[in-house]
Amino acid sequence: MLDATSALGGEAPFERDGLRIAEAPGFELTQIAGAETDLVAALGKLPAFGKALEQGGRTLFRVAPSQFWVVGHAPEAKGCFLTSLSSGRSRFLVEGAAARDVLASCTAIDFSPAAFKPGSVAMTGIHHTPVLIHCVSEYTYHVYAMRSFALSVYEWLCDAAEGVRSS
Amino acid sequence: MSAFRRIGTGGRIDRGSTINFKYDGRKLKGFAGDTLASALLANNKVIIGRSFKYHRPRGLISAGVEEPNGLFTIGRGKLEQPNAVSTLVELSPGLEARSQNAWPSPRFDVMAVNQLFSPIFGAGFYYKTFVGPFKKSWMFYEPFIRRAAGLGKTTTAGDAQRHDMRNTFCDLLVVGSGPAGLAAALTAARAGVSVVLAEQDFEFGGQILSSSDPKLEAWRALSLAALQSLPNVRLLKSATVAGIYDGNQVVLAIGAGTVESLRAKTIVFATGAVERPLVFTDNDRPGVMLASALKTYLNRFAVAPAKRAVIIANNDSAYDAAIDLVAQGVGVTVADVRVTISGATMARAAAAGIVIFPSSGIGQIIGAKQVEGVKLAGPHGVTIECDVVGMSGGWSPLVHLTSHGGVKPVYDANVAGFVPGKLLSSQFAAGAIVGEFSTLGAIRDGVAKAGAALAVMRKSVASQALAVPDITEVAYAIEPSSSAPEGKAGAKAFVDFQNDVTAKDIRQAHQEGYVSVEHLKRYTTLGMGTDQGKASNVNALAMMASLRGLNIEKAGTTTFRPPFAPLTVGALVGRSTGQHFRPTRRSPLHHWHEKNGATFIDAGLWKRAWYYGWAGKTPEEAYIKEMELVRHSVGLSDVSTLGKIDVQGPDAAEFLNRVYVNGFAKLPVGKARYGVMLNDDGLVLDDGTTSRISDTQFYMTTTTAQAGEVMSWLEYLLQCHWTDLKVHVASLTDEWGGMALSGPKSREALALAFPDVDVSTAALPYMGVKDIVFDGVVVRLMRLSFSGELAYEIHCPANFTTALWQHVLKVAAPLGIKPYGLEALASLRIEKGHVAGLELDHRNSLDDLGLGKMASTTKPFVGSVLRKREDMMSPERWSLVGLELLEADKKLRGGSILFAANDEIKGHGRGYITSVTWSVDLQRFIALGLYKGGLKHEGEEIICAFPLKNEQVKARIVSPHFIDREGTRLNA
Repeated sequence: MLDATSALGGEAPFERDGLRIAEAPGFELTQIAGAETDLVAALGKLPAFGKALEQGGRTLFRVAPSQFWVVGHAPEAKGCFLTSLSSGRSRFLVEGAAARDVLASCTAIDFSPAAFKPGSVAMTGIHHTPVLIHCVSEYTYHVYAMRSFALSVYEWLCDAAEGVRSS
Repeated sequence: MSAFRRIGTGGRIDRGSTINFKYDGRKLKGFAGDTLASALLANNKVIIGRSFKYHRPRGLISAGVEEPNGLFTIGRGKLEQPNAVSTLVELSPGLEARSQNAWPSPRFDVMAVNQLFSPIFGAGFYYKTFVGPFKKSWMFYEPFIRRAAGLGKTTTAGDAQRHDMRNTFCDLLVVGSGPAGLAAALTAARAGVSVVLAEQDFEFGGQILSSSDPKLEAWRALSLAALQSLPNVRLLKSATVAGIYDGNQVVLAIGAGTVESLRAKTIVFATGAVERPLVFTDNDRPGVMLASALKTYLNRFAVAPAKRAVIIANNDSAYDAAIDLVAQGVGVTVADVRVTISGATMARAAAAGIVIFPSSGIGQIIGAKQVEGVKLAGPHGVTIECDVVGMSGGWSPLVHLTSHGGVKPVYDANVAGFVPGKLLSSQFAAGAIVGEFSTLGAIRDGVAKAGAALAVMRKSVASQALAVPDITEVAYAIEPSSSAPEGKAGAKAFVDFQNDVTAKDIRQAHQEGYVSVEHLKRYTTLGMGTDQGKASNVNALAMMASLRGLNIEKAGTTTFRPPFAPLTVGALVGRSTGQHFRPTRRSPLHHWHEKNGATFIDAGLWKRAWYYGWAGKTPEEAYIKEMELVRHSVGLSDVSTLGKIDVQGPDAAEFLNRVYVNGFAKLPVGKARYGVMLNDDGLVLDDGTTSRISDTQFYMTTTTAQAGEVMSWLEYLLQCHWTDLKVHVASLTDEWGGMALSGPKSREALALAFPDVDVSTAALPYMGVKDIVFDGVVVRLMRLSFSGELAYEIHCPANFTTALWQHVLKVAAPLGIKPYGLEALASLRIEKGHVAGLELDHRNSLDDLGLGKMASTTKPFVGSVLRKREDMMSPERWSLVGLELLEADKKLRGGSILFAANDEIKGHGRGYITSVTWSVDLQRFIALGLYKGGLKHEGEEIICAFPLKNEQVKARIVSPHFIDREGTRLNA
């Protein structure tokens, strides 16, 4: 198989005081759109806006009315429209006790533990580009950014992390 | 003469921690806990600057945010900051401060000569004087005027300060940490809601910090400790609330380096009040200060006048300062303008041994550069030697923030000042800001307003009652004066110290008809500048109201806007500087280009490979070699930035048939078609090729520039107009990378790259499309040509584009394949006469671009009706032509204005050049352009004028298809 290339071009992960920002590649991402009944038939239970649903080895995010992202292997989905986005998005891991401070300096979402619990999902913007942020566990977040902006967003996140140190 | 001293005990300074700092190059010492202002005063720096317009000597007036005079440039080089308010700057080791608007020094300032001309410098002087003799005279004079007058200057060295920004959320924001603020914060915090307490000072406590009462300090410490112990409280000091916006979005500037955008469910404003000056002749003389400032410098910073102070007051609060000064051994005389003073106040003063002169004002300030004494006006015309004059004209609530949302403040006659108007249901105001000037009253009000805020959030106050300090207070009374002293000719009684606006200026504005407070402000500059008239506005409004014979509430106030206090531009810019000024978009091949000698060019946010080092060191040299490569051999170019859209669904063909001007309904699977789409106004929106992958799936490409616009246009049509169509669109621009393989040897190269695939014309004809799997990856082969040569596009998922690109270059190396960049790509298409972004500028019709024949006559499409408007059909429209340069030693330039041979070279001409290139085929400069009447004029010689370089060259109008009109190369 052809070698896959990262959008970051070999940028090293950011690591300091337990805070880690790194690319988390190697995922399969499919956008599935269609009528709610067809989607239920294909995917089973559907998540609400703002909540991830782990199901059958897949993670589902609702990204628009009648439109979902499937992270993991997408099923056959009769009557639905499937578009692979595995190359179109880069995924970053932001991890550590200061992770939420880094994210809070990038986007106007309340990342406090009470408001953004594990499993929470937000579609928002970082550095003027659209991103999806998923709280994987208490101190671990995934940020899905557009591939073409990925390096810019990564540099922005790392720069934000520098600020979290200085404040 | 004015003199100050540091007293040996007391205050909130740490005498064990000496801080060295520099002022105007001289080394001085202060203590931890000092502000820059208090440290200067402790060093007896009384004259610290010169005034804005008249260059009069000025000293500190206040000890807080309202300070109009004590502005300094602090820091050096890339950390230099002008207009720092010294009363807010915490003294830090190595701090460097310089006076502004004074040369060579504040004590001896050359520009003080302005004072001699002061009689002519009244309100509106500049506007009246510098309007002529020519139309643009003001433009000419303005820079000189600004240089002569003014505040600090911005450094040009750059900014080394790191600026961060963060977003936060809370249930209750309390602004201000005085008695009301502390009480509100603690009450709410104990109820369990998340509380942010923001304090502009570097210490919490507000007016308590200026008090000499140990009971108040004990209460402050207790309250603060309680807040600090609660996990749901965030205490922010050195945090200025700069603005309040919709939805209770609050912008805070914290320290020098952080801006916080806080969304608060509820807000309690406990911003307090600032003392007003009194307006009398020479009230700007250094040594004349606010009485409250004397109290603050004394109690908080242990800085006292050397021997004697005269207090001039119209209210009771000034007596607090007087009594505290006496306690520290300063002799105090009070001149009270009121006839009647309450018995309680008289008794307090008498107990302290203070002499009071009732019905007395200031008749004359003695001392040319700084205060040496005063002569009282009124029945007791005595002269008193003194170091300072403390003036107290009452208190002005700091209502600014409550007005940022558009709420006009209202006048409260009890305190002779403006208090907040009716606030939003989630906003409250507590303490001195609502005219509650007593400490105990402020605490009670803080508790009450926190309770009201909790009620909004459906929470209730916890049962634990708030401790209250055990103090007794005297009732506050004020007798405001709104008339300004006339004084003798040339005498100046200042209303606005920062902008040098005098009582006379206000009278003059009134006489000249500038009676509205908004006109008064603009005419006199009253209330402008860094202090925004915090100390001066109410006095000015009262005077104007009095001159007009109105009540002050009828005269109104000016509008308060963010920021509340000056912010640096750097703070607002945050991290968006340098490489982070805007995001950068990169192709999946970006890093390959970077490592292989590409020079990049910005195309919108994209970085695109412009040309490669193998072809030359300059773009002029390189693009020609790269063009020759494509015309004669084979080249590979990155086209990943093209917009790519997945169009799926049973109605996809019908959808495209409506969107494009030409037919797509019958496009066979495995074929691509060039399509043009119009806006609904009938003008061209974009073009590109769309391939049919299956009965129900199409792969659309758009221009790089219009990708986003086309995507949202398609979504709009589907969601708003054609909701019955079963079609789904998704952007694949980031998902798929692409490369153009172009040139006579491109088929050979393709065969080498994909040896298992039949790439013959029979299997992959012009406009043929084939999906294959190569080395485990789906690859889309499309026989398309932008260059006019035999060419293919190869697309695949972006993760694998680099590997595929490298593979093609490697296996086709024996053919001489090399990469070519954007400049060559764009030049090749000019030779072929293909329109691109420069021609597709949303102003041209299909016919303008020579594409009219593409439009279907048998189906409707978006824009089909409006494209036939009368003006759009005019044969005289500017339309696409080719141009050949007729003068061998000259150049054609993009943007040149086109004229007929006999036209006068003037105005907008008959058209312009959109795209230019050197043609490797024709060995001359060629161009595409728009010309009035278009190809009706084919064969005519015209003039291309480029006024920026004063050039005019001759060119001939020709067909825009410069090469291979028969398509022999294309179909090879």
